[in-house]
Parts: sequence; C-alpha cells; structure tokens
Amino acid sequence: MSNTAGKAYAMNVITPIPWWKAIWQWFIFNAVVYLPVFLKGLINLSLIHYARWTIIGRNSFPHLAASQPKEDLHYSYMMFESNFNGSWDQYIDSFSFAIPSGLNMFWKYNIGYPKSIPLHGFYDYIRFNQVETDHYYNAYPCAAANDVKSAVSLLDNLKAFSEQKLSLDDDEFLVAYNEFLNDNQASLGSMGVAPGGTSHV
Amino acid sequence: MSNTSGNAYALTTLCPITNGAILDDEGNETEAHDKVVRRLLQDIPLNEGSFFTKVDNTYFARLFILNDVFFQQGNDFEQDHLKSKYLCFNSNFHGDLEPYLENMWHNCEAEVRNIWQHCVGFNRVNSAHEFVTYIKACQIKTTLFFNGSNDESLAKQLKALYVKQMFGEFVLTQQGKSASDTKQNFKYFLQRVQLNDLTSPSWKPGQGELKP
Repeated sequence: MSNTAGKAYAMNVITPIPWWKAIWQWFIFNAVVYLPVFLKGLINLSLIHYARWTIIGRNSFPHLAASQPKEDLHYSYMMFESNFNGSWDQYIDSFSFAIPSGLNMFWKYNIGYPKSIPLHGFYDYIRFNQVETDHYYNAYPCAAANDVKSAVSLLDNLKAFSEQKLSLDDDEFLVAYNEFLNDNQASLGSMGVAPGGTSHV
Repeated sequence: MSNTSGNAYALTTLCPITNGAILDDEGNETEAHDKVVRRLLQDIPLNEGSFFTKVDNTYFARLFILNDVFFQQGNDFEQDHLKSKYLCFNSNFHGDLEPYLENMWHNCEAEVRNIWQHCVGFNRVNSAHEFVTYIKACQIKTTLFFNGSNDESLAKQLKALYVKQMFGEFVLTQQGKSASDTKQNFKYFLQRVQLNDLTSPSWKPGQGELKP
C-alpha cells in the first residue's frame, strides 16, 4: 500500500448514488465545467495537483467477455480521486472549512453523505468509503503543486530576463536583477523531501 | 464531461480481474488472481524505480484494486456487491490518450503483461494497438476533471523544477556580490542550467530527493 509518494497523497473514494440522482449530479458537474467560479475555492486552496470526479453508471462497469459475470447493480457510483499535498487530515480539514458548500454540491445526492459540517461525520464518511492505493507514482515527489506552477512561471520569466538584460552594463544589470528577484520572490521557495522523508503510508 | 483540461488528460479505467484461482500445470487451483495482482502492485518499486518513469509525460499514476462497493452500517438501503474485482489504473498525463498508451506498451510491455495478464480478456492483447483498444474498453469517462497545476509537458515541468532549485541556490550565493561579479556569475549560471534544453540538465521523473 502506498497512498503517498513524496509530497503527494492519492485519495480514492467511491460512493453509491441512486441512478436517477446520478443524472442530476452529472448536470451539476457539467454546470461547473462551464461556470468554473464554483471551483474558485479549490483553486484558492492550492494544494491539489489534479483531481477528478467520475460517475460510473450502474450499467457502465466494463464487461469484456462472456465468461465475466455481468454486474447487476441497484446504484450508480461516484469515484473521487485526488493528488494533493499534505496529510489526509489536513486535506479533509481544508476541504471542509474552505469549501463546505462546494463539497455538499458535489456529494449531496450520494447515499449516506452526512454534509461537510460537522467535521466528524464527514471524516467518517470519507474514511469508510476510501480505497487504499496499491502503487502510487508521482513524477516529482519533492515538489508541491505550487512548486510546479511557480517553477514554470520562473523558467519563462528567467528566459525572458536573460534574453533582454544581459546586454546591460554591470550596474544596470544589477538593478534589473534585483527587480527580477523582487518580482519573482514568490517563485523562489526552497523544495525538498516531504516531512518524514518519502515514507509511504 | 471531459477527460481533458487543456493538454492534461485524466484517464480512469476499471479492468475486471479474472475470478477464481490460477491453475497450475496439473489443473490444481493455486492463488487467486486478485491476490497475485495486489502483491504485484505492492512490489512495484517506488519513485525512480517505478515503471511509470518510462511512460513519457506521466504526471501521476495509481493502481489499486476495487474489491467491492461499500455501504455504511445502519443505512436502510439495498446493498450492491460486485461480481468481479477491478484493477483501477488511473493516470494524469500530458498529451493524447492513444500515443500515451502506445508509449506505455512499447516501454513497459513486460511490466504491463505481468500485471494485466490476470485481467479478463487481456490474453487477446499482443500489440500496442490492441493494448490501446483494451484500455479504452475499460475506460470510464471522467465527469469533472480539476487541474490545480498546469498542462505543460512533463519535460518542461521537470526542467522548470530543476531551474527553480538551482536558481534559488544561486540567489543565496550572490547576496552582497558586486555588480560585475553578479552579472558574470549569472552568465555562468545560464551556461550551467541551459534554460532552453528541456532534457538536460534536469530532474529525472520520480526523483525522490534533491540533487546538487
């Protein structure tokens, strides 16, 4: 089992949802795609690399051969998967406190969903429905999502700076260099292994 | 519904694992397929040792087994139980699905066969094209994909992280230096890091520690 890879945690949560309510949920997710303001809370949290919600229709489980028994399900299912930075507790706390209405909007039709507040019910719900990851791969275990975003920004800015400022004389260059550091200071944070090394819990 | 966010792709698959046990040469039942798969998955080396380092443009990937679906105790609902266990292979990567899977087959055929041989219908897979077809048959379309990072190529992300590390260290060493020294040292820095070469020097995929 390896739910963590460096600074990232792999969460998998699968929950039942009545098939007719899954259709409503589908419309909600599509509305979010076209009205991304609903994702603003997630963007502000800034601890997720990538996350997804997938509705699996009760007749959509792959059936690949006659020898495989066909599923006969009462419910559709919603699978949530996230690649986030920090511990399980930090993530659930952040979600619950920062975007409680967003969580309720995404899970409200799921069976047994207790709402995001109070926290203990939400803790129990996620823990009960979570599936542990057997192998988790992260291309950059030493970097958080903010590191990846700021690094790309820094690389682009550094290219532009080196193309435009190297022709300046020494004193003018130093002024420009200090301005560059000032403008890009948010991208200069140090990186490293996750607390506790790269242990896998 | 969308599997993509810009150039980033969210692949979600459920690959049914063959029910029952593996038969030995004499037809006797040995270990169950799902137990073998779980052991294989847990034995995959981590970080730089993972075979996903060889699958170009993989940001994140995970493998786990869905044994069944869950219903919390006390709920007065009809409860489902799955008739198959499913190998869930889910990945976030840069680019299109087909070339990604073809690359996975070409670079990791042995690892893929070792794991997926326990899945229903995989005995028909003998080429990159058939692997793509198989995984597509197991794919569930992502309903909402949230990209909290970016959709650059992995090579650019890794290069950027390398440059971020090196530039941070460079800045610390330049504090208090004269204008001429700063400019000269910055030129040396540019020669060392090669901003426009995404392949080298750079971080390696899955690199688990910072290297000087």
